[in-house]
Amino acid sequence: MTSGDLSPSDAELLRAHVEGDKEAFGELVRRHRERLWAVALRTIGDREEAADAVQDALLSAHRNAARFRGDSAVTTWLHRIVVNASLDRIRRRQAHPTVPLPDGSRSDDRPAGVEPAAPAVDHETSMVVRQALADLPADQRAAIVLVDIQGYPVAEAAEILDVAVGTIKSRCARGRARMALALGDLRGRDSGHVAGGNQDAAETVPSGPGAATPRPDRHERRDQR
Amino acid sequence: MTGAEFSGVDIDLLADYIGGALEGTPDESVVATLIAENPEWRAAYESLSGGVSLVRAELGRLEPEPMPADLAARLDGMFSAPTLTLVKGDAAAPAKPRSRSRRWVTPIAIAAGFIAFVGFGADYLAGRSGPQTDDTASSAAGSADLAQAPQILNTGTDYSRATLSAEPPQPLAAPAAPRSAGAFGESEAKEQDRSQIALADPALARLSGQAALQECFEAIERENLGGVIAVQTVDFARFDGASAVIVRFTASNGGWAWAVGADCGTRVAGADTLDKVPVP
Repeated sequence: MTSGDLSPSDAELLRAHVEGDKEAFGELVRRHRERLWAVALRTIGDREEAADAVQDALLSAHRNAARFRGDSAVTTWLHRIVVNASLDRIRRRQAHPTVPLPDGSRSDDRPAGVEPAAPAVDHETSMVVRQALADLPADQRAAIVLVDIQGYPVAEAAEILDVAVGTIKSRCARGRARMALALGDLRGRDSGHVAGGNQDAAETVPSGPGAATPRPDRHERRDQR
Repeated sequence: MTGAEFSGVDIDLLADYIGGALEGTPDESVVATLIAENPEWRAAYESLSGGVSLVRAELGRLEPEPMPADLAARLDGMFSAPTLTLVKGDAAAPAKPRSRSRRWVTPIAIAAGFIAFVGFGADYLAGRSGPQTDDTASSAAGSADLAQAPQILNTGTDYSRATLSAEPPQPLAAPAAPRSAGAFGESEAKEQDRSQIALADPALARLSGQAALQECFEAIERENLGGVIAVQTVDFARFDGASAVIVRFTASNGGWAWAVGADCGTRVAGADTLDKVPVP
């Protein structure tokens, strides 16, 4: 808070809420809800589920505010709760698979479809990018949402997702690569390369043992804290 | 570029290299060597680098989507200082016929700064013995039966296991429930079309909704294993410092006071029971 800014900081609002100020948490929510919504929406890819995740997460934050120890910024803490609520919903969907649609396109760790697009200059491109993002594994998607869409520094994204910085870098890098492969036709159209449209490209990424030679034999080396 | 043309390349490892995830590790020089010496790795590197740059640019261009207005309003309602909205209904006026599917009757009483619902859950009160008739509904609006109707309180009391069996605190100067319900109902309740009490504790806001509270009761009934429960009081309060709803009821296995959490009635949490004690 600058000297000319008389509005309370996030930490002050949270403290006031814990001490019984009935307006403080609402003010905190109003400050950050748009970004929290954006993270939930992009991570889950379904508007209704994202709305439920945001609501559940904020209720949880409201309830457990006294446990916030100030080890991180309040916004980081709020984002962590929202991201976890979003990932929980994705996992729940995996645990209780839905009946596949007739076209068999539904995957339970992925959104049923891309959320309705906002008006965009290139609507088609936007839709393709959203679909490629939605097709990523949830952990890669969450990392990319925070870093590449919301613009969080890698270190803060790592804090939000409670993993090591190297893990965030790896998840982002691998997710971008999958998207790049999926968007091959788009790139071909833009740069004059031969179009190689492949919406299933994520499944063609070699990732198992023996998928490439020669290579070091550790994959999630970065996935350590 | 689909990946198929780079079958001899570990795309994940190459992606890690491009994304800087290998910096400072032995793998970094291994991959650098592969790119320098292996044409397939070099081609994959050049292609993937361009593709990744394009992806980042496209991601950065995604338009933000504003939070839906209904969600924003819901959050405002949940986290604002408590205000009171009322359930449609009028405890003093003659009751109208109710649909067979409607399980809760919702006249409201407010007295001495606390909120009391009366007649909320008449079938639980009556052991869910059958569809409610005009006569029973009318009598529920009368003073005699209202004395037995379940009250919904919002005392904010912090209960513990030792105090859970105690009756919820009552206001010292509470007017008779039928009178206050009638006065309130005639002036405002008719104008309201939606039931929800905005509570002092927003963590319990979900349970202030009629449907959610009903699901909570049903979850308690399932877990109590004592058959149909007849709810006597519901107190929006706390238990050992945590947001809780204290539900007192009777069933075939006796009288009980259950402290349930904010997730009571959800599929995942069930009754979300924090504690329960028998009551005389």
